[in-house]
Amino acid sequence: MASDQALPKAAARPALPVRTRRELTDTQFALAIGMPVFLFLVLVVAYPLGYAIWMSVHKIIFFGGYRTSFVGLANFARVLADANFWWSTWVTLRLTVEAVILTMLLGLGLALMLNRPIVAGGLVRTLVFLPWCVSLYGAGLMFAYLARGQTGLGTSIAYAFGSSLSVDLMTRDMVIEVLAVGAAWTMAPLVAFFLLANLKTIPRRLYDLAALDRLSRFETFWNVTLPPLRYTLFVFTSIITVLSMKLFDFIFVMTGGGPGTSSATLTYQVYKVSFKNLDLGYGAAMSFYLLLLILASTFVLYLVWGRREARY
Amino acid sequence: MNRNRFLFVAVVLALLWSLVPIYWFCRMALLTPLEIQQYPWPLFPRAPNVASFWNIFGYDYILSDGTRVPASGQANQIIRGLFDSIVVSCIVTLLTLLAVLPLAYVFARLEFRFKSVLLFAILLSVALPPVSTLIPFYAMYIRIGLSGTLTGLVIVDLTITVPFVAWMLIGYFRNLPPIERLARVDGYGRLAAFVQLVIPLAKSGIAVAAVIAFLFAWNEYTYALVLVNGSTANTLPTAISGFLFQDPQPANLAASVVVTIIPPALVAYFLQRHVGEMNLVDPVR
Repeated sequence: MASDQALPKAAARPALPVRTRRELTDTQFALAIGMPVFLFLVLVVAYPLGYAIWMSVHKIIFFGGYRTSFVGLANFARVLADANFWWSTWVTLRLTVEAVILTMLLGLGLALMLNRPIVAGGLVRTLVFLPWCVSLYGAGLMFAYLARGQTGLGTSIAYAFGSSLSVDLMTRDMVIEVLAVGAAWTMAPLVAFFLLANLKTIPRRLYDLAALDRLSRFETFWNVTLPPLRYTLFVFTSIITVLSMKLFDFIFVMTGGGPGTSSATLTYQVYKVSFKNLDLGYGAAMSFYLLLLILASTFVLYLVWGRREARY
Repeated sequence: MNRNRFLFVAVVLALLWSLVPIYWFCRMALLTPLEIQQYPWPLFPRAPNVASFWNIFGYDYILSDGTRVPASGQANQIIRGLFDSIVVSCIVTLLTLLAVLPLAYVFARLEFRFKSVLLFAILLSVALPPVSTLIPFYAMYIRIGLSGTLTGLVIVDLTITVPFVAWMLIGYFRNLPPIERLARVDGYGRLAAFVQLVIPLAKSGIAVAAVIAFLFAWNEYTYALVLVNGSTANTLPTAISGFLFQDPQPANLAASVVVTIIPPALVAYFLQRHVGEMNLVDPVR
């Protein structure tokens, strides 16, 4: 990259001697463009973040008069001794891994399919994109109705075949998988469309060359199609990981953390502690563990995968 | 031949996967009140009726057998929410693109100092879970008088869309053939090369980014619930959630969820053409 950036500067001067305006350096140009956005983000995000930190080191009591007392890191220590927290961490990890794998595979599959010439392609593309148009809130409702024994697809199909079986997927053992499928349903189109946009940037000529070289279909996919997608795949694996860990509306509407606590992810647990038990300091402390988990997973992804792609 | 058949099966499966949950709700909206009381609900509505689509916009509807289905009490909020959601989403989409396009381009193509620090700042704002910033945001908005306003909602939405879309576009811009380097050799300035060459070239990625920003804003529920719910600046998702608590009418609930899909579907339809019709032969040659 360093050699590329020297190239235009060296070449531009002799080509255009009339130009008198001094060119900005890359850093100046980048900062000029980036700063306003960063200032906005810092202004808007810093206050809530600071406030959350303040809450996490205080004990905040509403009942019997609002009062706060400084407790240092006691809230953080309490979280680590909380069995509910560890259970929620496990639920979050299980849901995230399942949702990410499903979403990425579906997204890649849909993108490859949509990249082929299809009859009524525009319509197919729009219909495949529809799940992302449904809010997580709406999708939560849909999957709740679909999976429940009372109103679900399974029961209706069983009934149509003359059986009176009630198919309920919202059970203790299955509920996380149902959530993962639902999450993948809404998020896969997002991945698919970005991958599709990326596929369109692959020059057609490369495929002609691959055909000349008599590459098999798999070899063409592996050597021509995949390399330009790899960085996007990495970015989206990270994004979907973050989105799955942050998933809240969907779980809130669909299962409410249930049955029992079997789908109580960390976001749900934080919600419960902060908004139901009104233990704001403790909730804030727990949310920092969630933030840490999110940052750590993206960092691990970067270490084992992204670092190699960035070089490519 | 064999290959086409495989593609056909794949398309059918993809459509089934995408549409069955949506069909489930469309059907729910079309069931008659009588059918809703059955167990289990029929797979196909026997006498589809559009009553609930009228109800949620505040009109009574008379079924063919003379039964009167009364208008929903939520109608005012639904209409208001629809209007507010459209306004908020369009503004957020525009602002996001204006902020993010140059930003993502700079990150994708240029090497400069502080790059990794700034990237980490983006990542941090993406990673912040809404549950942990809800109360602080609420406290801040009460203090500066933004709670219950559309402006406040636009600002919160931007904190979600800007980092996300930036992150997505960085990967995309990296993949574009580096034509602007050639343009710079030909004497284009940085900004001119970006506006006149990179943006038209990146049309498909930008179209997708626009849809995504629109949808993040359109579907945002958690912040809207806390920051603007109950005020006049109500958005569609919060308006719909009223059905759950006040008016347990499955058909109306389903109808309003179906209605929320329509505007973003239209946006998606018009923008997807930019993705589909793009044929990059080889711009570098």
